[in-house]
Amino acid sequence: MSAERAAKGGAQVDSDRLTGVIGSDAPLPNVAAGPPASPKDVVAAVRASRRTFQGTRRRVMSLVALGALWFVASLFFTDSVLPGPASVFAALWGNLQEGDTYVHLYKTILRVVAGMAIAVIVGLIIGLIMGLSKFGEEFLDSWVMVAFTVPSVVYGILAILWFGLNDFAAIIAIGVTAIPAVAINIWQGVKAIDISLVHMGKAFHLSRASILRKVVVPQLVPYILAALRYALGTAWKIATVVELIGLSSGVGYQLNYWFGLFNMTQVLAWTIAFTIVLLAIEFFILKPVEKWLTRWRPSVQG
Amino acid sequence: MSDSYLLIDDVKKEFQREGDTPLRVIDGLTVHVENGALLSILGPSGCGKSTLLNIINGLDDVTSGRIVINGTEIGVKSRSAVKIGVIFQEPRLLNWRTVRDNVRLPLDEMKIPRAEANERVDRYLDLVGLAEFGDYYPLRLSGGMRQRVSLARGLAIEPDLLLADEPFSALDEITARKLRLELVRIWQATGRTIVFVTHNIREAVFLSTRMLVVTARPCTTHLDLPIDIPHPRLPEDDRLFEIEKQVTRDFMRMEEASA
Repeated sequence: MSAERAAKGGAQVDSDRLTGVIGSDAPLPNVAAGPPASPKDVVAAVRASRRTFQGTRRRVMSLVALGALWFVASLFFTDSVLPGPASVFAALWGNLQEGDTYVHLYKTILRVVAGMAIAVIVGLIIGLIMGLSKFGEEFLDSWVMVAFTVPSVVYGILAILWFGLNDFAAIIAIGVTAIPAVAINIWQGVKAIDISLVHMGKAFHLSRASILRKVVVPQLVPYILAALRYALGTAWKIATVVELIGLSSGVGYQLNYWFGLFNMTQVLAWTIAFTIVLLAIEFFILKPVEKWLTRWRPSVQG
Repeated sequence: MSDSYLLIDDVKKEFQREGDTPLRVIDGLTVHVENGALLSILGPSGCGKSTLLNIINGLDDVTSGRIVINGTEIGVKSRSAVKIGVIFQEPRLLNWRTVRDNVRLPLDEMKIPRAEANERVDRYLDLVGLAEFGDYYPLRLSGGMRQRVSLARGLAIEPDLLLADEPFSALDEITARKLRLELVRIWQATGRTIVFVTHNIREAVFLSTRMLVVTARPCTTHLDLPIDIPHPRLPEDDRLFEIEKQVTRDFMRMEEASA
């Protein structure tokens, strides 16, 4: 299906061929639409699938290069400073055999997702208020900027002081850390809305709800996605920090534990474990969703 | 003249200004438009044509006077009583929807049953020569094709009146010329009444059955000129050139008088 879509995208519509027949009674030429596929379509499809394959190959190449660099570097240090890839992945593999590992990963993911949910909901509301109302903008903008500047560790410490050593504190800290970035993104998104499309909706007598749902929100999608991605990156960093400061579960707790034992191999193994989880979220959830939501936009990359 | 399809009856429009006298944009404009006419409105920039279109579309109220379409008086409150299709200077399509879904947009709002809406979308896309492009996204199309989609969207609601606000002025001349011929063909095929705002005298003369030249702000009728040359017309018709020259001369005199 994606190949077919890519094929249509690849074969740019030739407007002259269409407009060339206006005013005469000649039938429209069959311009690369639908089956039967013209040779041009097939070439474009092949090219598109090749491009995807090439993308994967380049990513694998860059991973291998990093691994090689790591391996060479590790030859110059002891295991307590920089263990090699082999021992780290062996430790990671060992961890994956234990049920406990999944509990810790799950705990952290839960906190990250809950914190992100708070950040996205609150950030969206703040961003919309700032974008839609001049008063809201002037009332809130300096606070959002201040909140954006405060180091996330401060939110972690405050949350633990106020709410104790529990999940709630972690989730609040994560949420509060990520809110300003989400709000700023949405705020900018609302400002970039094409008002002439809203006028079009009014001219066709669309209801306010329809205009919001069909005209305004779709224009915010790219900004919401960017906010989500940023929130995910921030959320997991602050999650580990809070876990490290004061919780007895999660990836941060494990990092702290192994750091206490000066076991660099396990520290790296846990870091990699969670990085893999984040990459999985990026490649199996965020990217496909983004691709689907922005399928209408011709790619800017050659 | 009770047989007018569109009646603009002594319409005045003022905008309140803070600490100043109200700004009078339209000052007693009266026009009777017969059913199936292609009326073009020609006037200097900023003469209140957009305001007039908004009023006809029920998005704004008159200060005094009235506008009647097919027996229904138009106002912000009664706006759903009459169906009005609009084409803008730019296509104003939702780029994240396919061509088909763009044309469907107003139909869904009118709660037209799915099967009928689908049939209409296909019919009007076919009419504007885009039958094969229903599944395309607008950004894959050329400017002229996007404006055709916009035309299909305006027609698919089967409007009582089609308002066109300088729809071809942002296109290159060759494309605009083809679309003008296209518009005349579609107008003849559908029999709709069209109000066509333009800055282009040649375009107005070529298209319309009637031409309304209005003055700069406040907007009043300067010239109400029927163009009786039967359609389909040839763009190079000498009679059209004669009218164009005459209107241009008159238009320039009006501009100089107001300057």
